[in-house]
Amino acid sequence: MRRDIVPTIKLREVAHSRSGEKCDSVNLSVIAYREEDYSIIKEQVTAEKVRELYGPIVKGNIIRFEVPNIGALNFLMENALDGGRSRNLAFDESGKALSSLVLLMDLEVPAGYIGRSGLKV
Amino acid sequence: MGEVENHLMKKIRLGSGTAWARDRFQLALDLVERGDIDYLSFESMSEVTMSNAQVNKINNPDIPGYDPYLERRIGSVLKDCVDKGIKIISNQGWLDPEAAAEKVIELAQNQGIQSLRVGAVIGGDLTELLPKTDICLAETGERIAELGDRYVSAEAYLGAEWIIEALKGGAQVVITPRVADPSLYVGPLAYEFNWDMEDWNRLGKATAVGHLIECACQVTGAYFCDPGYKDVPDLAHVGAPIAEVDESGDAIITKTPETGGIVSTETCKEQLLYEIGDPSAYLTPDVAANFTTIKVEQVGDNRVSIKNGSGLKRPENLKVLVGVRDGFMAEEMVLYAGPGAWERAKLAKEVLVERFKEEDLNPERVRMDFLGVNAVHREASPTPSFMPYEVILRVSIHTKSKEEAQKLRKVVDPMAVSGPAGTGKWSTMGTSVRPVVAIYSAYVPREMVNVNVIYKDI
Repeated sequence: MRRDIVPTIKLREVAHSRSGEKCDSVNLSVIAYREEDYSIIKEQVTAEKVRELYGPIVKGNIIRFEVPNIGALNFLMENALDGGRSRNLAFDESGKALSSLVLLMDLEVPAGYIGRSGLKV
Repeated sequence: MGEVENHLMKKIRLGSGTAWARDRFQLALDLVERGDIDYLSFESMSEVTMSNAQVNKINNPDIPGYDPYLERRIGSVLKDCVDKGIKIISNQGWLDPEAAAEKVIELAQNQGIQSLRVGAVIGGDLTELLPKTDICLAETGERIAELGDRYVSAEAYLGAEWIIEALKGGAQVVITPRVADPSLYVGPLAYEFNWDMEDWNRLGKATAVGHLIECACQVTGAYFCDPGYKDVPDLAHVGAPIAEVDESGDAIITKTPETGGIVSTETCKEQLLYEIGDPSAYLTPDVAANFTTIKVEQVGDNRVSIKNGSGLKRPENLKVLVGVRDGFMAEEMVLYAGPGAWERAKLAKEVLVERFKEEDLNPERVRMDFLGVNAVHREASPTPSFMPYEVILRVSIHTKSKEEAQKLRKVVDPMAVSGPAGTGKWSTMGTSVRPVVAIYSAYVPREMVNVNVIYKDI
């Protein structure tokens, strides 16, 4: 299939996510809604792709963990909170609002794929 | 039915009464009234809780060292818990679990309770000890002994063993200082089922259960609901979770009857990974829990089965949080709306940068963000695809001294009369200069932490 006609869809249609903090690190889960879609996120939601989105605010490493028993990935993003919640000057001092950014990632999906909201490509 | 089958069928129901110091009070009331629980746990801390309490205590020596919400949280359910045989495990002891235990006794006496034993776990506070040792901050390598005036506090994360001891000693209410959150749930389970505290697999399972419910409604639909993608019935009345655990450590996660919310494989998966680094090695004082073997399965309406967790030997050392003074922070805002709001907000930012010099304001760090555009995701925010209708310029600074932080108002207040057109003024209730206590971590050998349980009785 030619690359320019591979359908893409936002990650938000394929997976859900939650973020939290541990000291100066933020964790970010990416969990496939459907078990069979774990292979899509495993292949495409790489640490590099996460860095493309979060790079401007993550000063340390981005480490990816695979959690196939629940169809999920977990990313640990180090030095993302300007020293941690106690010292973060940002309006959101926590890491809790950060998960929604990853949902904007574009994923390649098979033609006819139906996303979580009912969107069909 | 034989004795063996009966034993295997014993289930303990754990209720999670609060996710943190300032969660809703209604959760525990509903759990006690109709949750049919055996244990009610209150998790009242975030990272900064103890060090903030230390600073408050220095400024106001007369205020109690325990959670100011203790009286309402425990007092509002105490009589019903005693009548129903529900035991309470709470980390609201903060700096002074003994005083907290005495307060609980006082509440009980006022409520006409005839008999009660409260156990207080004493000893996690390492503030006086650590400067006499060679222990260093993990993040910077500095010796705590060399921090001088900047040093505020140090407390260890305790595990389940002291909760178990208090329960064995007959406590109906257990008050602790800082413990690892899952330990509030591992403790009662290990006590009820008489587990070997080196049975790492079972402790790993129990730790997963504790982790799932320790943030209360985050597993029952809260911090989850995303309309159109993850819908949750009646979020306003979302109910507290209940874990129904058997002797093997396998569990069902459910919630308080007749409450809003939902318990699904989706809510459980999100909470399982919440604030986890490596899911195969989640370290607590009790165990190195492995979440990568767990099976999560919907087995009924608002009933999810959690099975097959595992674990490895607990860490040698205990993690310690260390509070270190780090200057002050201040925050101000100016508001713009309507046509040209974005241009005017950007102009206001340029003006402020110059005005800092006029007041000789030299912060260590400064942020200027636009609420509605890039204040939440910061530099990772995508460029807006349309002009925002309203834009708020938010300025925050970090300074060494309080006097320097107080200069921010002198720079921003005049913007109301000497800034761009239509500059709106933020109500001053938000103006605050706050001291910063930065949290670092350290690790100490278990032997360094001297803990015991004391009892207060009616």
